[in-house]
Amino acid sequence: MRLVARRTRPDGPSGAPGSSARRHSRLGLRNRVTLTFALGSLALSTTIGAITYFTTRSSILRQAESSIANEAYANATLLRQQLGDGVEPTRILTEIDESALTQSALWIDGRWVFIHVTLREASLPPDLRRFAIAESTPAAEVMTFEGVPSYAVGVPIPAAKAAYFEVFSLAPTARTLQIILVALLTAGAVTTIAGALLGLWASGRALRPLRDVSQAALAIASGRLDTRLEAGDVRDLAVLASSFNRMVDRLQQRIERDARFTSDVSHELRSPLTTLAASLSVLEARRDELPERSKKALELLAAEIRRFQRMVGDLLEISRLDAGSADVDRSVVEVGELVRNAAAVTGATVPVDVDPAAAGRLIAVDKRRFERIMANLLDNARRHAGGATRVSVAVAGQSVRIGVEDAGPGIDPTERTRIFERFARGTAAAGSRGAGDGTGLGLALVAEHVKLHGGRVWVEPGSPGGARFVVELPLLEEEGTEEGEARAAAAVEGLEGAGGQPPATLATGTGGRGR
Amino acid sequence: MTSHILLVEDDERIRTSMRLALEDEGYEIAEAASGEEALEIAAQPPGGQPFDLIIIDIMLPGMDGFDCCREVRRQSMVPIIMVTARTDTHDVVAGLEAGADDYVTKPFEPKELAARIRALLRRARATEGTPSSLSFGDLEILPEAGVVRLAGEEVHLTRTEFLLLCELAANAGKVLSREQLLERVWSYDYFGDGRLVDVHVRRLRTKVEPDPANPHHVLTVRGLGYKLAP
Repeated sequence: MRLVARRTRPDGPSGAPGSSARRHSRLGLRNRVTLTFALGSLALSTTIGAITYFTTRSSILRQAESSIANEAYANATLLRQQLGDGVEPTRILTEIDESALTQSALWIDGRWVFIHVTLREASLPPDLRRFAIAESTPAAEVMTFEGVPSYAVGVPIPAAKAAYFEVFSLAPTARTLQIILVALLTAGAVTTIAGALLGLWASGRALRPLRDVSQAALAIASGRLDTRLEAGDVRDLAVLASSFNRMVDRLQQRIERDARFTSDVSHELRSPLTTLAASLSVLEARRDELPERSKKALELLAAEIRRFQRMVGDLLEISRLDAGSADVDRSVVEVGELVRNAAAVTGATVPVDVDPAAAGRLIAVDKRRFERIMANLLDNARRHAGGATRVSVAVAGQSVRIGVEDAGPGIDPTERTRIFERFARGTAAAGSRGAGDGTGLGLALVAEHVKLHGGRVWVEPGSPGGARFVVELPLLEEEGTEEGEARAAAAVEGLEGAGGQPPATLATGTGGRGR
Repeated sequence: MTSHILLVEDDERIRTSMRLALEDEGYEIAEAASGEEALEIAAQPPGGQPFDLIIIDIMLPGMDGFDCCREVRRQSMVPIIMVTARTDTHDVVAGLEAGADDYVTKPFEPKELAARIRALLRRARATEGTPSSLSFGDLEILPEAGVVRLAGEEVHLTRTEFLLLCELAANAGKVLSREQLLERVWSYDYFGDGRLVDVHVRRLRTKVEPDPANPHHVLTVRGLGYKLAP
């Protein structure tokens, strides 16, 4: 198999390299196959139709001409006999024309006999007249008479110094040909449509594995690493499926190994940290007995051990989230109560303003995770902005927005997405890094926890200045009525089986999940 | 009166530092480096005074923490705190199923552990203000005597199971949320671990329900909590 490396050419000087690819992709592979099938059957049916039509046409015409000619000779023979018998030419012509759909004329010794108003000498083609009269040669010619395709036959009757002319209407033959043409065109159209349908079906069938692969890839990208392709019974596709599955196996092993490594490292750090924490508390209990220098050293030790502890805790948390093994233990609570409790537990004294519209609204959250969200946001405000000034709770559509406001220097617009990345520190903090006691994972964890709940988080400028971190989480539908409680209970029931995946009904906030 | 605590931990440094820290909190600590040693010491406590509480690390060489916990449980209703290295549901639930009353996760602050110990010990001493006898069908509870009978036969409950049952009985017919139960039975704050309640209710059912899969006394109210059928 040939591997094609994907080249990205950002802002190429020509600016056009993507245009042809774009034009192709706009039509779509499936549509292209369908179109090809349709055009193919159109060409085929047109060719066959044309051949059929022209063959049939010439054969029908030949047949018509020969029967007309035979009839004309028969009439000419009759005419000669009757002229010989001295019958009035007009009467003979009238008799002939009564028995057939023809118009006859007779030239006899330089005199024209016409029995019809319309057929005159000028109506007959000059060549035909010349052959029949001057050269005594029978002739026939296709002509248009009275707007109708007709066949004119001229038969010389030398015995009577005459020439007999007959004009046959070809209208019935033309109608037959028209019917055949319509039938052939209809057949062609049907064939074309059938071809298009066949193309649609065939391409759908042929492209189904491709669709399966793309769906599987999407599932894997969204974290369902156990997704695999079924081998199927077609050999070519089985090869694709098995190589795809092998790739996913490798990927899964790799991801799991990485996640396990972080987790193992963190676990290995837990035992010494336990000893450190316990020993530290023993030392701190005897703080007053220590000389000044030792006291200072103890303070440093204490600060770093606590930070170290938090960091290991955060790393473990994030490795669990990465591994997708985080269990979400949701319960249904009133929004205001949830936020007030979470703020109180962190020990921060910050006013919590619950909008009247938000009061009484229910939400299904993992309270421990929500407490982490609040704690990390309040902690972030304390560390970088002198503490949170206000926590607001307001309803926005089917979601609740919890805003944590501070009166600090605010966040630079260019930093607003980056600060939610792991180990990202604001530029303001970078200079004074020595004093920071953060783990660098706080806001990243906030983002992960919020995502797990099907919500989103962002930072915006505060109203009097400073920054406002906003957490948006989907609310349960109804207010705290009995029916609402029952639905809430049902929602939690549904969630229990859902594990780490936020359920679809709750994940559809006003915005997407990502930032 | 000083409380007597047995600390089961194989890592000598952790054990020593924890002993020092807990002694600072005013407890009398006995150490065991393995599950087997812990069972020996628990069977013959120094000074003849039984332990008020046992702290067991899950990762022990030989007999692991779960087995040790189960063995201790077989002979005694003493409060047990598990020390786990993971907060995964598996380890926590397995520890609680083995009979632990509560758990802490490494690395923990000694103050956090001390708070858990205090809560369990305080609870163990006070069961007041409840009537002396409650009965629900064939289930009879004597809160003061600490006795529960099912169809006339005495049922052996751990302290936590007993308190959980008493709490539900005192509010018979009313739904208690997991949070309310955590607060009242474990003295946990708003953000306690709901799995504690679930596992203990499950264990309680195996003892007071004739058919634990089809409970008649301790009922689950979907999405809201638990209640005792009046």
